[in-house]
Order: sequence, then structure tokens, then C-alpha cells
Amino acid sequence: MNQVGSVGLIASLAFAAYALVAGAVGGKLRSPRITRSAERAALGFFLMVTLAVVALEYMILTNDFHNAYVAEHSNRDLLTYYKVAALWAGQEGSLLFWTWLLSIYSALVVWQNRRKNRQLMPYVVSVLMGAGTFFSLLVFFVANPFQELSLVTSAGSQAFTAPDGNGLNPLLQYHPMVIHPPMLYLGYVGMVVPFAFAMAALITRQLGDNWIRTTRRWTMVPWMLLGCGILLGGNWAYAVLGWGGYWGWDPVENASLLPWLSGTAFLHSVMIQEKRGMLKVWNVALVILTFFLSIFGTFLTRSGIVSSVHAFAQSNIGPFFAVFLAIILFFSVSLLFLRLDHLKSENKLDSMVSRESGFLFNNWILLALVFAVFWGTLFPVISKAVENATVTVGAPFFNKVAIPMGLLLLLLTGAGPLLAWRKTSFQSLRRNFTLPLILALLAGVAMFAEGVRNLYAWMTLFLSVFVLVCIVGEFWKGARTRMRTAKENFALAIYNLTMRNTRRYGGYVVHIGIVLLFIGFAGQAFKTDAKGLMQEGDLLKVRNYLLRCDGLTTGDTPNYEYTRALITVTKNGEAFTSMHPEKRFYKASQQPTSYVAIHPTLSEDLYVVLAGLDPDNGKAIIQVFVNPLVMWVWIGGVVTLLGTLLAMVPSRVEREMAGMRQAQELAVQAGDAY
Amino acid sequence: MPTKEKSGVRCPKSGVNIIRRSRGNLGLRTILLAAFLLAASVARGDSARKPTLEAIGNEVQCTCGCVAPLSQCPMVECAEKAEMRAFIKKEIADGKDETAILQDISIRYGVQALTAPPAEGFNLAVWILPGIGLLAGLGIVVVIVCRWRRKPAIVPAPTSASLDPKVLTAVEEEMKSTGMG
Repeated sequence: MNQVGSVGLIASLAFAAYALVAGAVGGKLRSPRITRSAERAALGFFLMVTLAVVALEYMILTNDFHNAYVAEHSNRDLLTYYKVAALWAGQEGSLLFWTWLLSIYSALVVWQNRRKNRQLMPYVVSVLMGAGTFFSLLVFFVANPFQELSLVTSAGSQAFTAPDGNGLNPLLQYHPMVIHPPMLYLGYVGMVVPFAFAMAALITRQLGDNWIRTTRRWTMVPWMLLGCGILLGGNWAYAVLGWGGYWGWDPVENASLLPWLSGTAFLHSVMIQEKRGMLKVWNVALVILTFFLSIFGTFLTRSGIVSSVHAFAQSNIGPFFAVFLAIILFFSVSLLFLRLDHLKSENKLDSMVSRESGFLFNNWILLALVFAVFWGTLFPVISKAVENATVTVGAPFFNKVAIPMGLLLLLLTGAGPLLAWRKTSFQSLRRNFTLPLILALLAGVAMFAEGVRNLYAWMTLFLSVFVLVCIVGEFWKGARTRMRTAKENFALAIYNLTMRNTRRYGGYVVHIGIVLLFIGFAGQAFKTDAKGLMQEGDLLKVRNYLLRCDGLTTGDTPNYEYTRALITVTKNGEAFTSMHPEKRFYKASQQPTSYVAIHPTLSEDLYVVLAGLDPDNGKAIIQVFVNPLVMWVWIGGVVTLLGTLLAMVPSRVEREMAGMRQAQELAVQAGDAY
Repeated sequence: MPTKEKSGVRCPKSGVNIIRRSRGNLGLRTILLAAFLLAASVARGDSARKPTLEAIGNEVQCTCGCVAPLSQCPMVECAEKAEMRAFIKKEIADGKDETAILQDISIRYGVQALTAPPAEGFNLAVWILPGIGLLAGLGIVVVIVCRWRRKPAIVPAPTSASLDPKVLTAVEEEMKSTGMG
């Protein structure tokens, strides 16, 4: 199977390199024949990388421990779905997985555009396969997962088959980890598609709305998947790392946040180009930045230039990524400068108080946030280079810098959609904002009276009420109009209103999701914890919870041994729940890990960790957290996901327009034939 | 020149009564002022908090090499964590405030033990550049907005003189080949 995989890799490299050149030549010569051959080579690239992935997965699933990667990242007793996940557990496998996702995206783009965007497609294929060539080179020559395990003796090295593997990193043996990396990678890799279309539009000088319209959904999908990946990563950190939080501003977490933020900026600013023909240079720049940050995130994760608790797959591939990043930057920025004359705005700004300026301010905050996070993440490296001093830039810095910007963004989330395109009158502002402000203020007073004294938490909840009232008001106003004019009931009016403009109302649902996320974040200000040594009969109190230890049990599974604490919890003196946190010891990797017990509710999570056993007296070290509002983070994530999906559904107006365009094209074709 | 009337100032161009508009704005202003005062009051309460082991533990990195803040160190029997916690507890018991405790920690364990570097020397850059970036961004937005407001509504279509001669030749050849030239 190693040979099959290697053949797949070398063939994929050949296909990618051919498609890269053929695409560019086909575009330059305007040759449909060469362009088609480049597209077929992109499909061949997909098939060959798939072959390599299947070969590696086959070896993992059949415990083929003469493959070095399989011996390093899997073992016989690993559960099947974790074996599947072992594909992306290490450096070589995850780079192959990345290449495979790129090949899937490329194949989908080729298939979807087989009859449209014919002038852009040669260059789109060329750019996609440029990335494909880089990753194929990397996987084949630098991080090849198809290496045989060898035993080095005094007589030389010889092939060797291990009786069992080292197993998957215990920290990765958690259900969401099976889908977290694929989501994240789909997000990272997917950003190559808008980048490819932007580059093709620049090369062909077709810088109208076409590439924007084509790539909108191609941007929303990776943006959504990246968001899901980030949240699943947070969920993993919450449930596995055992420190009671879900976001620690770790460099690897920051690396995933950066392209998501710049992608968010693009998804907003692109609307100005579609509606008003403005911000053309800016949109291309944002696409370049987002793709750059996606690759930069991978570089940061893999190169080991920053210390991280998430660094599972570090090696010496950093310089290769650095060169690739430099090529991307040089190529795209040069092209952008060469085409500046073709990217002029078609309209002027009518008023400072308008939807356009709202989007501009939204972009300003988002990009400032990108810069702050980027700077804070890289500062330890810069400090080491400049001053040879080791410094840490962690959560306190990012919280101080990012929270105020996040609050400004939250304000714009509510205020922006209420501003009209072109110009918003003062009367309109007053009409739209008075009620949300009054209700938010009442909520603020109520929260203050309830004892909320943390400024950021108070501001977050105050603004959350403001934004929710703004958005609900938008739905209400639209529905009321439909109820009056179309004589529909409320539910039908909401449904028709949403389906008529899925993009707008899907966007509002996304904003609701973001508000719920912020409400969840605010809960962190009210976190409480307690710690104690416990044995049977011991009690531990935290807030209004009383935990009683009913004993410790030990057990054995084929994969790990465990010690489990049996905890009975009462709340306000009444029976509440029983919880069983575990300390596991994985046999194959010889590593311990915690399995946190969480009792989630809408208001707060009770979070119990068995940190270990006291070496002196054998008592369980129990750490308990009461984490308010965490559930709202996950709910907010789901609502954001649903809103994004809704925004991707073609609206009735869009479908009608598409039907008209299709009819026109058919008429033109019929005319040509005639 | 606006004319002053009993009911307020009326703009000669739009005919809108400016003073009345201001009075109408009063409610909104009152709300904003109240919100500001409430926020200021909340902020004062926030800053008056006493240092706690949990709060300090978030500002300090465990020196065991786990790359996590002290309060999040995942190591089970971490001697460094126990030692640092004991030191912080003693500092709190001595009645020191958060700044003084962090200063003592940086002297005892080195600057790298703080999860955010102190705002001095070269480290000042990490704190001020995000603010400069924010202001520079605002400046750029303002410049863009001003330029947009000044520019003509429609950009004239490029004349043939501004087209790339290569493109022109290609178009002419294509038109000839399709019988349109």
C-alpha cells in the first residue's frame, strides 16, 4: 500500500503541475482545448490524491504497522472512528488531508463552472493547481506519509513491522475532534477558491460583479466551516483540557480566528460592491488577505515559531511555507497594483450616515482586530529577534485589546442593518434606535440592580439587548407590512419575508447568533471555582452546589485504564445530579489525560475535573467550576450556522432573476443558431 | 442665514426647524447620558476589586513549561504551580494590590512569567501598536469617505487611448476572425 500511496502522490504532483501550466497557457492563448485539458488534469489531481488518502486510511484501519505514520499515530485497540481521524493527527497525514480537501474544492469548482465563467476558468484552475503543486511537493518530498518503518541496527537499517502502534494522542481522543480538524481545514483550504477567482479576474481584467457573485457562496461556505471548526475547537478545549474555559488566546487559536475575521470583513464589504460598485480594490485586498492568513495559520501551527498547547504536528516545514507565503503576497499584490485603473469606484458616497459607511466602520474594526491579534501573536517572535528577550503575550493582552473592539462590533451588528443605503435621515435614526436604546437601558439598570459590576460583562449584555431588539424589530416591521398588504398571518409573513430575501434575513439570524455568542462570552466574568482533596464522604461547596464524593472506582478498557470519581451533587439542598469525572491513562501512548464531567444548563455549567490523586494520602484532587452562560456559546454557534445556511439559499428574487438571465441566454443562443 | 423664530431656528434651505429637532433629540440624549453614567458606575465598581488568586493566576504563566496560565496549568502534581500559588497567596495576604504583585512576580520569575509583558521599553510596542492601528484605520476610513464624497458620481468609460494596445489588437483580430471586423 505504501507504493500505491506514493504512486498516487507523484501522479497528483504531475497532474497539478500540468494543470498549473496548461491553465495559464490556455488562458493566454484563449484555447478552449488546452483549458479543458487543464480542467481534466485538475480532476485527475483529485483522483490521484484520493487514491493516496484511501491507501493511507486502508493502512490505518488494517493496523499496517510497517508504515511509519500508522505506527506513530494509531494502535490496534483504537476505536474505528478515531482510526479514521488518525489521518489528520500527525504532520504528514494532515498535509495529505489538506491536499485532498484542496483537490475536492478544485474538482467542485471545475464541475460547477464547466459551462460558465469560461474566460476566468483557465486562470482559476491555474491558481488552484499552483496551491495543489505546492502541497503535493510538500507531501511527496518533505512530509511523506508513505515511509516504511525501519529498524536501525549496527548492521544498517532494515524494514520493520511494529507489533502495535504508539496510538493517537490522548488529547485528540474526544468525539468532536473527529470533525473539528476537517471543519477547520475545510475553512482554511476553501479560502483558496475566492482567491483563485479574484486572481483570475485581475489577470483577465474582468473586474465587474461577476467574480464577486460567483465567489460569494464559495466564501460563505469556508467562512461557515471555519467558524464551526473554531467553535468545535473551543468545545474540545472546554471538555478535554480541564481548565474550565474554551478560549485561551493561544497562538493556534488566534491563527484560526484571523482568516475568519478578515473573511467576515469581506462578506460585508462585498455588498457595497454589489449594490454600489464601490470598494473594488478593498474587496480584492480582503480576499488576498484572507487567503494569506489561512496559509499563515497553517505556517504558524506547523513551524513551531510560537509556543502553543495545540501544537500537535510541528516540524521543519516552516521555511517552505514562508516561501509560499512570500510568493502569494508578491504575485497577488503586484497584480492588484497593475490593475488599479480597472478597480475604480462607480459611485460616490452620499452621506456619512448610511449603510455604506456602516460597512466601512465594520471593516475598520474587523481589520483593526485582525492587526491586533496578528501583532500580539507574533510579538514574542519579534521580541526574541529584536531584543533577544522571551516574553509571553497571552489572554490579558488580548482581552484588553480585543474586548473593546468586540463591543464596538457588537454595536455595529445591531446599528448597521438599520442604516439605509445612500443616506439615513435623522428621523429614521430616531425612529429605529429609540426603542432598542430604551429597552437596552432598562435591561442595563436591571442588571446593575442584580449586582452586575463587571464593566465588559455589563456592556456586553446591554449591547446584546440593544442588538436583539434592533433585529427583532426588523423582522417585526417586515412581517407587519406583509400582514397588512398580503393579508398573511404572522408565521406565514415571517416565512415569506425571509424566503424573499434569504441573504438579508439569513444575515440577521447570523447576527442573532453572534449576539448569543457574546452573551456566552460575558458569562466568563462570573466564573467561580473551588478545589479540594476528596475521599468517600467528603464534601466540597461551590456557590449553591454541594458535592459529595461517593468513592473512587478504577477500570480498564482495551485502550486505557481509568480512575473515576463518583460525585453526587445537591443544589440549594435538593438532589441535583451525579457526575463521574475520570483520569485516564492511555496504554499505547503511556500518557494521562482528564475526562471532564460537565452538567450543562442554559444558565450555567457545573464542571468537575478529577485532576489526579494526591500522592501522600491517595485522595482525589477535585476541581469544580461554575461557568455561567457557556451553553449560549454553543447555541450561538448553531444559530450562526443556521443563519449562514439560510443566507446561502437562493432567495425568490434571486431565482426569478436567474430564470430571467437563463431565458435571455437561451434567446441569444437561439438567435445565434438562427 | 437661518432666521430665528419663536419656535426655534429654521433652515432656509430645507425649512426644517433645527431647534425643534434638537428638542426631539433630548430623549435620546438623556438615554445615552444615563447609559454612560451607569457604565461609569459599573466601571468604578470593577476597578475597585481586590486581587484574587484566580485573577492573578490568569495574568501569570506557569513556569513548568506547559505554556498555560497558572490558573489553567493542566499538570497534576506541578511543583512550580504549587510554589507560584503559595507566593501569590502570601502577596495577597500582605495586602498588596494587583500591580505590585505582578511586579514582584516578574522580579522573582522573570518577565516571561507574566502572560502579558509590562508596558515599558520595547514591550511598549505590543500595547500601543494596536491602538495606533485602530486610529490609523480610522484615518484611512475618514480619508476614503471624504474622497468618495468629492468624486463624481460616474467614472467615465475608458477611452480607446487608455486601452492596452495588445488588448485592442486581440479584439480587432477576434472581430475579423468572426466576420464582425
